[in-house]
Amino acid sequence: MRVLRHYGLVLLLLSPWIIGFIAFTSVPMALSLYYSFTHYDLLNPPRFLGLDNYRYMFGIGPIQDPNFKTAVYNTLWIIVFGVPLRIAFAIGTAMLLTRPRRGTNYYRTLYFMPSVAPRVGVALIFVYMFNPATGPINQLLNSIPGINAPLWFYDPSWSKPALLVMGLWGVGDAIVIYMAGLLNIPRQLYEAISIEGAGALQRFRYITLPMLTPVIFFTLIIGIIDGFQYFDQAFVSGNVASGQSQVLGKPQNSLLFYSLWIYQNAFVNFNMGYACALAWVLFLATMVVTAILLITSKRWVHYGGGLST
Amino acid sequence: MRRVRWLCLVLAALLLGAAGCGGGSSSSSNTSVKPGSVDKTPVTITLWHPWTGDEKKLFEQALDGFKTQYPWITLKLVGFPDSDVFDQQVIKAVKGGNAPDAVLSFGPDYVGQYCSSGLWQDLKPHMDADGIKIEDFAPAAISYTNFDDKQCALPSLTDAYGLYYNTDMFAKAGITDPPKTLDELAEDAKKLTVKNSDGTLKVVGFVPLQNWEQLGISDIARAYGGEMLDDSGQPVVSSDPAWPKAFEWQKSLIDFYGYENITKFFAANTDSEFSASNAFETGKVAMMWDGEWRTAFIAREHPELKYATAPFPVGEDNTDNYGSARVGGTIVGIPDGSPNPDAAWLVVKYLSTDTGYLTFMANKVRNVPTTNEAATSPDFQNDDNFQTFIDVWNNPASKFFPPLTAAGGGYFTPLEQFTDKWQAGQVSDLQGGLDDVNNQMAQQLSQGQVP
Repeated sequence: MRVLRHYGLVLLLLSPWIIGFIAFTSVPMALSLYYSFTHYDLLNPPRFLGLDNYRYMFGIGPIQDPNFKTAVYNTLWIIVFGVPLRIAFAIGTAMLLTRPRRGTNYYRTLYFMPSVAPRVGVALIFVYMFNPATGPINQLLNSIPGINAPLWFYDPSWSKPALLVMGLWGVGDAIVIYMAGLLNIPRQLYEAISIEGAGALQRFRYITLPMLTPVIFFTLIIGIIDGFQYFDQAFVSGNVASGQSQVLGKPQNSLLFYSLWIYQNAFVNFNMGYACALAWVLFLATMVVTAILLITSKRWVHYGGGLST
Repeated sequence: MRRVRWLCLVLAALLLGAAGCGGGSSSSSNTSVKPGSVDKTPVTITLWHPWTGDEKKLFEQALDGFKTQYPWITLKLVGFPDSDVFDQQVIKAVKGGNAPDAVLSFGPDYVGQYCSSGLWQDLKPHMDADGIKIEDFAPAAISYTNFDDKQCALPSLTDAYGLYYNTDMFAKAGITDPPKTLDELAEDAKKLTVKNSDGTLKVVGFVPLQNWEQLGISDIARAYGGEMLDDSGQPVVSSDPAWPKAFEWQKSLIDFYGYENITKFFAANTDSEFSASNAFETGKVAMMWDGEWRTAFIAREHPELKYATAPFPVGEDNTDNYGSARVGGTIVGIPDGSPNPDAAWLVVKYLSTDTGYLTFMANKVRNVPTTNEAATSPDFQNDDNFQTFIDVWNNPASKFFPPLTAAGGGYFTPLEQFTDKWQAGQVSDLQGGLDDVNNQMAQQLSQGQVP
C-alpha cells in the first residue's frame, strides 16, 4: 500500500513531463512513422502505400526521387568539409586566445559574440557581404589585379564554400569549449616534454591534441548532428539570393540540403508522407553515425588527468 | 550528454511529424440556402484576411459599406501579418475544427486543393440563388476559382501582368512603339542596353532571368502560346513546341548580356523590387514584366518617371493572343465547417461583387477591379496605363498560369530547377532536359502511385 502510494506520488510529480512526452513526442513520432508509409497531402486523409515512399527514395523500382542523391551529397559535403574545418579553426583560435596575459576576457567576448547572433540574421548579412555586384568582399577581391571574384551564392561551385565561411565566423561557441579544454591541460606535461627536447610542433602533436580529444569528440558529434540538420543558413541565403523563389536549394540545387528537401516535400509539394519517410531515414542515419562514433571513440579519445592513464 | 543528443534527434523528426497532427476533418457541409428569404437574426461573422499596414486600414474602411447594407451582421476581422503562411493557417484551422466563417486570401495557389478536398465550400448554390455567374467577372476568373467543377472561391480584385517600358529611353533609342512580339522585345532590349567599359551592365533592356521580380519561364512560354498541362491534366512541357522556343529565346538574350554580367545585375537589384530603388523605377531597366500595382508604386515613389504600359509581347506565331497574359489574385470563400455559411455568403458576395467596395479598393490599393460594373463605374479612377491591365484581365485568352492542380503548385518545382541550370548554360540537351522535367512533373502530379 505504502509502495503503491509512493509510486503514485512519483507518477504525479512526473506527470507534467509524462503528459508532455506522450502528447508532443511519442504520439507525433508514431504518427510520422505511420505517415511515412502513406501518401498524405495534409488535406485529404492519408492513403496507405506500404513501402512505396522508401522505394521512391532509393530508386528501387521504376521511379526515383530526382533530388534525393543531390540532397545527400550536399549534406555530406557540408559535414565532411565543414566539421573538420570548424574544429581546426576553433582549436587554432583557442590556442591563440589562451596566449595573451591581459585582456583575455575581452577577446573571449569578442570571439564569442558572433555565435550569439541569430542564424537567420547572420545569413542575411553574409548574402549581402558576398553579393557579387555590391558586396564588400567582392569589391575587395576585384581590386586585386588578376583575381576574378566568384559569384558566391549565384554559382553552384561557390555557394557551399560561402556557407563554410559563414560557419567559421560563428565558431565562438566551440572556441570557448576548446579554451577551457586547453587550460585544463596540466602544465607539467609540457614541462616534461620540453625537458625531453620537443619543439612546438611535437608539443602540439603529443600533448595538446591527445589531451583535447574529449573536447574534439564532443564538438565532432555535435557538428555532425548539426550538419545532418543543416537548414537555416542555406534556406535563407538560397532564398534571398534567388529572388525569393519558392523552390529551395538555389543556386542550381547546390544548397539543397537534406532538411531543405524534407521541408520542400512537406510544405511546398504537400507530400507529407514522403517527407516523413525522408525524416525517418535521416533519423536512422544520424543514429548509425553517432553509434559508430561512440564505438570507435574508445580508440582515440583519451579521458583522465594525463599523468597516468 | 547522450540523452540530450537523442532528444535533439527526436525533436527534429517530430517537428515534421507534428505538422501532420491536425487529424480528422469534419466534413459537415451545413449549407442551407433559402432563396429570397434573408435571415436577419443578429450574427457575428469572423473574416480572416492577410491585409497589413495601410492597406489593412483601407480594407477596414471599405467594409463600412457592408455594415450599412447588412446592419444585423457584426463583422469580426482577424488579420494575419504574414501572407506567405496565411493559407497554411487557414488549412490548420479548418482541419482542427476552428474554421472562420469566411476567408479572404491573396493568392489562388491553394484553390486546387481547397476545391478538390472540399476544404472550401462550393459556392454554386449561393450563386444560383442570387443569380451570380462566374462569367460575370471575366473569362479568366474561372481558371483560378474553380477546380473539379467546384466553384469554391470568387475573385475579389485581381492582378494582371503586362509590359512596362520607359518612354524616355525609347525616344532616345529611336523606338516609337512598344514591342508586340518577343523577337521585337529582344531586339529593343539589345538597343536599350548600356554597358560599362568593363562589360558590366549599366542599363538593361529587359532582364530575362527566372525569378527576376515577377517573371517566370512559364510566362515566356505562355507568350508563345504554351500550355503546361493538357486537358487530362498531364504535363506537356516536353511536347508543346512553345517551351523550347521560350528557353531558346531566354538563352539568346542572356548570351547577349553574358550570364555573369546579367547575374551580377540580378544580384545587385533583386532585393529592391518593392522599394523606391526598384530597377525600373530608377532607370536601370528599360522594360519589365510586372503587375498593375506598379502604376501605384511609380506614382508614389517616382512620379517623374516617364513610362507607359502595353500588353506583354507574344511569339511571332501567337499574335492572335496579343493582349492576353497571366492573371489572378485575391480570392474569397467559405471554409468547410464555417459556423454561419449563409451570413458568410453575404460577406463573400460583398467582397466579390459590390461595386462600391471594388472601386474603392481599386482606387486605393490599385488592383484590377474584377467586375465589369466596377471597371466602368464613374467612381473608378482609371488612366491609360492602368487600362492596359483591365484589358488584359478581360482578354479571353488570359488565365491563371501555371494551372491549378489538386496537388498544389509544387509540381512545377522540376521546371524551375531545370531553368536554373539552363540559364547558367549548364544544359547541352534541351529536349532531353525537358523530357526529364516532364517525367518528374507527371510523377509529382500522379498522387498515390508515387509519393
